[in-house]
Amino acid sequence: MKPREIIPSITVLCAILGVLMGIQYNTVQSQAASAAGTDNVRLTELSAELRKEREEREALEKQLDKQAELLATYEAGETDDAALKSLQKENEKLRAFAGLSEQTGPGIIVTMDDSKKDMGGDKNAYLVHAEDVLKVVNELFVAGAEAVSVNGQRIVAQSGITCAGSIITVNGVRVAAPFEIKAIGDASVLQAALRFPGGVVDTLSPWGIVIDIREEASVTVPAYTQSALWKTTEEGEDAA
Amino acid sequence: MKIIVPVIGLCAGILLGIKSGIVLPYTMMAYGGVGILACLDTVLGGVRADMEHQFQMRIFVSGFFLNGIVAIGLVWLGKQLNMDLSIAAIVVFGSRIFYNFSKIRRFLLNKRQKEAMIGEE
Repeated sequence: MKPREIIPSITVLCAILGVLMGIQYNTVQSQAASAAGTDNVRLTELSAELRKEREEREALEKQLDKQAELLATYEAGETDDAALKSLQKENEKLRAFAGLSEQTGPGIIVTMDDSKKDMGGDKNAYLVHAEDVLKVVNELFVAGAEAVSVNGQRIVAQSGITCAGSIITVNGVRVAAPFEIKAIGDASVLQAALRFPGGVVDTLSPWGIVIDIREEASVTVPAYTQSALWKTTEEGEDAA
Repeated sequence: MKIIVPVIGLCAGILLGIKSGIVLPYTMMAYGGVGILACLDTVLGGVRADMEHQFQMRIFVSGFFLNGIVAIGLVWLGKQLNMDLSIAAIVVFGSRIFYNFSKIRRFLLNKRQKEAMIGEE
């Protein structure tokens, strides 16, 4: 037999093969690990994290309340100064305008609920959508509503109403039908803005969507509760 | 027995590969698998050729690289065509591995037989 020239080359090849196998083994292991990640272990971990975050949020909200209280006491502080008084008045006005204070006054309460009818066709047509709520809110503002809230969420400049699956979010808070939209303003004008032919009520009622409009002598619209944090906006010159 | 040297090389390679901690991205997994098959096929082919006294370094080395390139190219093409062409590479290499292995087995068994015969004489 001739000398085995094969041995060194086979050895080199075996080594390459081994490295490949090792890397593949690592890869498969990491894949398996990440696949196992979706198992219960990960799930419980995530739910624990969620709970922790919720608790943290509650604590922060409490802190926010405390700070707001503190601010209120500052604002209610001794005020003999006329300038301070006018500033306070201005402040109150601006807060009301921005939706940061609770408002009470005459107005209407609109209740929207999903249709009980089923005449066949697209099931979605019988549900109240974010767009419908948005339309109502828009009409109310157009008709001169001073303050509007949807299911306790005050509509302010930063408010968004959007579809989130079977529910909608207002101010980032998930709310579901029935929607109770409170508006302060001239009740008859507000009603008319919703009821006119071709208006919101007119277009939705054929589908059996419940829109109940109630005039109230005293409607209380809650304040905007989300903390308005201005992270990106530079403080600009005051327009006033 | 000199056969132990490649085995040591293989073990060292596996250890090195695992210890290196290199993890291929998910999309590269198919290439890795086919590369291993090509490598394994070449090793067994080389051993068989050696046993049949037909071993040629040129064929051995070129076979290793070209088979690997073609196999990886096939997988790549399959990905472009959304077709699992890696199966073709796996089947061909798999059957070749079995074929080479059976040849080696026969050779070893026959050798034993011959040795036994020598002992009897």
